[in-house]
Amino acid sequence: MTLTGMKKHVSVLELARLVTTEKVGRVRTCRLGERGLEAEAEWIEAHRKLFEARFDALDKVIFDIKQEEEDGSANE
Amino acid sequence: MDQQTSNSAAAQNRTTVERKSDRELVVTRTFDAPPPIVFRAWSQPDLFRRWWVPKGAGISLISCDLDVRTGGKYRLEFGAGEDTMAFYGKYLDVVPNERIVWTNDEGEEGAVTTVTFEDRGGKTLLTFHELYPSTEALEEAMAGSAAGLPTQLDQLDELLSSTEA
Repeated sequence: MTLTGMKKHVSVLELARLVTTEKVGRVRTCRLGERGLEAEAEWIEAHRKLFEARFDALDKVIFDIKQEEEDGSANE
Repeated sequence: MDQQTSNSAAAQNRTTVERKSDRELVVTRTFDAPPPIVFRAWSQPDLFRRWWVPKGAGISLISCDLDVRTGGKYRLEFGAGEDTMAFYGKYLDVVPNERIVWTNDEGEEGAVTTVTFEDRGGKTLLTFHELYPSTEALEEAMAGSAAGLPTQLDQLDELLSSTEA
């Protein structure tokens, strides 16, 4: 990879906040940024799965309440 | 008794999660019942405890105290093996069949959660919205359960090689 190519790559990563860089003299040091895209995507997917499991169970509870109400009004 | 068909209905209802801004996270789902029924399932402890903790996660709900009205408090205690964990806070705003707003006070920078129940022709569009006090607080909440650095590094490798062209 050329130095110019490398610089271009790093600036893309920096814009995406995946890395932060610091230049001291002729040396630019890169660090992983606070924002890891993969980690965020994983977390969102884990969160979605948690809520999906909750809401599937909530669907059943709602079904039961509707059932009870129907039974209740049928007996009146 | 009627045949239970709730599973096929559940399969059609999609749960979406979106990071709406640096401080906000939004979960939505549509339920096949009008808002008063969904609100009941959310505000009565005996109903709430039947669905809040997913089965098979190795976690049990030990106690569940909910006083769902403006100014009321809640406290949930979970058990995982020997450990117990408590979540608690206050209801800032409760409008029956419309919305519930509560604080999450167990941590220092807890989110404010707002759940709204909107009537959509006899169904309910539920929106679960979390607002964190800062970007850092949201990212910390994410980092708390994130799988960690190795995948992040792999992703960085991929990104570097894909920009090669």
